[in-house]
Amino acid sequence: MTASSSFSEISTKKIIQMNDVSTSYDSKNYALHGINLSIDKGTNYAIVGPSGSGKSTLLKLMNGMMTPSKGTIKIDYQTPNMNNKKFKIMMHKIGYIPQSLGLIKNISVLENTMIGALPRLGIIQSFLKNFPEEEINEAKRILKLVGLSGKEERKAYMLSGGEKRRVAIARALMQKPTILLADEIVSELDHVTAREIMNLIADAQKQMNLTAIMVHHDMQLALEYANRVAVVKEGQKVLEIGVEGDSIVDFQTGDLTTEEIMEMYSDESKK
Amino acid sequence: MTHIETELFGVAFWSMLETIQMAFIGTIVGVAIAFPLSILSARNLNSKYVYGPVRAILAAIRTFPSILWAMLFVIMVGLGTFAGVLAIIMYTVGFVAKLQYEVIETIDSDPMDAVSSIGVSKWQLIRYVVFPESASHFLSQMLYMFDYNVRQSSILGIVGAGGIGFYIIKHIEFFEYGKATVFMIVVLITVLIIDWGSVKIRDKYIIKSQHGMEVTAK
Repeated sequence: MTASSSFSEISTKKIIQMNDVSTSYDSKNYALHGINLSIDKGTNYAIVGPSGSGKSTLLKLMNGMMTPSKGTIKIDYQTPNMNNKKFKIMMHKIGYIPQSLGLIKNISVLENTMIGALPRLGIIQSFLKNFPEEEINEAKRILKLVGLSGKEERKAYMLSGGEKRRVAIARALMQKPTILLADEIVSELDHVTAREIMNLIADAQKQMNLTAIMVHHDMQLALEYANRVAVVKEGQKVLEIGVEGDSIVDFQTGDLTTEEIMEMYSDESKK
Repeated sequence: MTHIETELFGVAFWSMLETIQMAFIGTIVGVAIAFPLSILSARNLNSKYVYGPVRAILAAIRTFPSILWAMLFVIMVGLGTFAGVLAIIMYTVGFVAKLQYEVIETIDSDPMDAVSSIGVSKWQLIRYVVFPESASHFLSQMLYMFDYNVRQSSILGIVGAGGIGFYIIKHIEFFEYGKATVFMIVVLITVLIIDWGSVKIRDKYIIKSQHGMEVTAK
């Protein structure tokens, strides 16, 4: 467990609640089935599972990009739906980094980062890209924080994979978010770069008291950085683990060691 | 054997210049009208109550070829280049708007989703995703239309809508093939020059931004 992954000041306020949530492509095929989640404010929450288990769908339900076919979701007491005006305002404070990152390849690093500030800008101001000085300075500060100082004017397509992830993080941080949703953003990176990116998010989370919900493929990485880990398989939550310091508690079956959890996850993945 | 009357090259050059002017103005104005219409026609940005009627109007505009538009405008505004420019504008609007809304609909959904998830307005989404992601295609279509409109403008003179076509049809009608040949040679040289220029602009600005790479001009 790294120092950056421990978070002492965690509020008990439930910022995300999912009750018996299901989503289906048709009447027979469920992407998610009967999911219950309760996430405290300030938690670093990891969702782990094999490909196609419904992890990304969970994130899209949380930011209102998808709606459940059954069950209820509350994000800070609001139902996530893009047609809900109160939630749309809340979306300004939900940073979302999709697996593909969603960067605009033909614009600069600085402009990609400034997209996070768009909800704070007027129509004319944003249309003319007439950004206020304080927003530009804030974007430069965040780019320095993520290690992209001096590359502000570089086009996004010119960056390496690790640098692109840093821009996507910068864009999300520029929103001054309260919740950060990240979908397998380190899955294609080498071990060292993946840890660098994870440390960056952990540090930002600590500084901004963010609630981070991160989807991972790698259980080891999830245990290393998260306070809580949910394991999802075939659209169902099969396990939820609380991580305190170096010890792991399985709230469903009692205390388990890291090795036992890893072994269980490994068995789940093979099925 | 027909004698090519080289002394007519001066007249041919100036009438070709007039044709290029018609094509240029027609393309610029047509494209400027087409772009907002393409945004209103894109299914991934609008409801069917918006894109449906706009697409119907665009389909109606495309029904007529530019030569028919030219005939219509000659009747409405009289003989000359103005009728030709109006015909080119109509044709450009119909085609560029269609090509562009198809490009907008194929924009990668990931940047659209990532930016939409921030809760930005539709205008901000258009400005920060649609504009940059479709700009290179738009420039490409503009070049293609200019190229096409120069060729089209060359024949609009046949119906009295100005340009070099007027001289070509006049000389052909009077069996002055030597004179007509001079004008046709000028059209050919102009089209070749524009084609060459288009390739250079595409290499420098379009291929690079579409594929994220530099292309060395040979």
